[in-house]
Amino acid sequence: MRAVNLPIDALRHAVASLPEDRLAPVRRAALEHLGQHGLPTPHEEDWKYTDLGPAVEIGNEWLAGGAAAPEPAGLPAAAREVLQRIEADWIVIADGRVDSAAVAAFAGDAVQVTLLSESDVPLDFAAPLTDLNSALLRDGLRIGVRRGAVVERPLGLMICDTAESAAGMSQVRIEIELEAGSRAEFIEYHASAGAGRHYANTVVNLRLARDTHASYVRIQDRERAHVQTGQLNVRLGSASAFEHAAFDFGGRLVRNDLNVGVDAAGASATLAGLYLVGQDQHADNHVRVDHRVGPARSRQDYRGILNGKARAVWNGKVIVHAGADGTDADQANHNLLLSKQAEIDAKPELEIYADDVKCSHGTTVGELDAASLYYLRTRGLDEEEARQVLMRAFAQAIVDRTPVGVTREILAEKMAGRLAGLLEGMAP
Amino acid sequence: MLEIRNLHVTTGDTEILRGLSLDVDVGEVHAIMGPNGSGKSTLAQAIAGHEDYVVSEGTITFQGIDLLELAPEERARLGIFLGFQYPVEIPGVNNAYLLKAAMNARRKHDGLPEIDAFEFLKLAKEKMALLGMDPKFLNRGVNEGFSGGEKKRNEILQMAMLEPSLAILDETDSGLDIDALRAVAEGVNAQRDPERAIVLVTHYQRLLDYVEPDRVHVLSEGRIVRSGDKSLALELEEKGYDWLREAANA
Repeated sequence: MRAVNLPIDALRHAVASLPEDRLAPVRRAALEHLGQHGLPTPHEEDWKYTDLGPAVEIGNEWLAGGAAAPEPAGLPAAAREVLQRIEADWIVIADGRVDSAAVAAFAGDAVQVTLLSESDVPLDFAAPLTDLNSALLRDGLRIGVRRGAVVERPLGLMICDTAESAAGMSQVRIEIELEAGSRAEFIEYHASAGAGRHYANTVVNLRLARDTHASYVRIQDRERAHVQTGQLNVRLGSASAFEHAAFDFGGRLVRNDLNVGVDAAGASATLAGLYLVGQDQHADNHVRVDHRVGPARSRQDYRGILNGKARAVWNGKVIVHAGADGTDADQANHNLLLSKQAEIDAKPELEIYADDVKCSHGTTVGELDAASLYYLRTRGLDEEEARQVLMRAFAQAIVDRTPVGVTREILAEKMAGRLAGLLEGMAP
Repeated sequence: MLEIRNLHVTTGDTEILRGLSLDVDVGEVHAIMGPNGSGKSTLAQAIAGHEDYVVSEGTITFQGIDLLELAPEERARLGIFLGFQYPVEIPGVNNAYLLKAAMNARRKHDGLPEIDAFEFLKLAKEKMALLGMDPKFLNRGVNEGFSGGEKKRNEILQMAMLEPSLAILDETDSGLDIDALRAVAEGVNAQRDPERAIVLVTHYQRLLDYVEPDRVHVLSEGRIVRSGDKSLALELEEKGYDWLREAANA
């Protein structure tokens, strides 16, 4: 048994203060699991580079302060701007509270949205951090896309936390299911406000039945005192297609786990990510694709630009299980380091137990392409300008690949703004 | 306009140009011909200012200015344009952005305001029509996924937009089918101007069927071994390069 790094009595008290609803037994069982297993520590291979110490600190402070969720205040300006500008059907989850009015307003035929406390979806809590999530979950969402439905308007999840002064902690849980032949787009947007410290932990499970197509974009633009851990677990049915892009601009400590299970033939997963971090930011992307059945295809393209003392981790794992013949998998991770103190730990991992597979990977850490730099200079751009143009292009390539079109404009702006911020930090 | 004297250029450990001298006057079209490895591209890159090509001896002056003191971007702003043999693909930087940035860099140097967006678009569309390019290319990444012919047309488009005083076109004809070659040649001819000099670097004579040079120079082993009028190109086409090499070594 491992040490629990959050005080179990205080946790028990926090769980008891949540509503006595359908989720209550799950919360208690998940708490017991957490009590036995604790939070992941750097002793585990998967958590070697990411120490959840700051999350535990914030959690302890939150528990000591009575483990309350702040009363809903107005939405942060950053969140309001996004809600206005991105055309989508939005549901706001503020400080772990689901806006149930927005859920009730969701009366479309194609999409069914239910509070988890009012649905019969079983909640799994065996994985690390999923137990914490299930134990302290106030409520979450179950989203069902009906058989054959083609949903035109993206569904947006605005996850925002306000930590004005006291430390905060919030759990978000979303269970999404696409029934056979359906098609839908999702946006998961993290915004925040306040200078206070906050730890947010998100679990999203996405199941794609056969012949479905899901596009899922995650944008994380939190305040610099926030810690964020997030899991996105995806199961792919036959001939289903999953397109994903993830953007990390903010936060102090961010850990994303993307787990894709290729469970049937003809499925494809296209995964892209961009992290722009500076100062003492830490961004960790763990991507794992389990190819259990072939033929199927997966692509990973993650990119990062780091400055200051920032640290990023990219761990892309592909496992081709026995019998998954005809798997075609590629992983790429490219990084630009703008300062000597910045650090990237890039690790592609490939385990193959099947025949007749096509797998490749490439990672780079380094400099801008010299030939491109020279080409731009021969067109009259000075060296500094040419460098900035190429850096923007390096990041823009991921923005361009964003599968949810309505997010592109705002992403391009956020990217350019964040990059300008990073470059400003370069000035002597 | 361009004066090159006793130019020696080294790349890596190899001396490629070994005492090359050349004069190009305003309003003229010159063709630099020669076998592979004779130093044609090295000459083009040395004029443009590629840092891998180190000038160990000699001078290059442009309108009386010592080019060797200047960075590539400073040479560009003086009005020197290099059309690349292998234009690079730059995904994420769109063509319109690059064209505008390049034009504005030169305009700023000349003390002019930035080009008006409407003017720019009008001009770009006009030049693209002349080159047989789809206006959609403006919004694509620079050369991204372009065919060989499209890349070369794009180089000529940049030249046409930038209106350089000196254009050096490095093997602009290589790898082109006949339609692309004609389009590129027309683009070059449209740029012939009493205020402008053009240097065509080419291995084959076929571009010169469409763009008639005032002067032809033959480069061999890092030196110009023969200069003449356009008939020299025809003579080379007929006899190949070997006889010149033999003549030079004799």
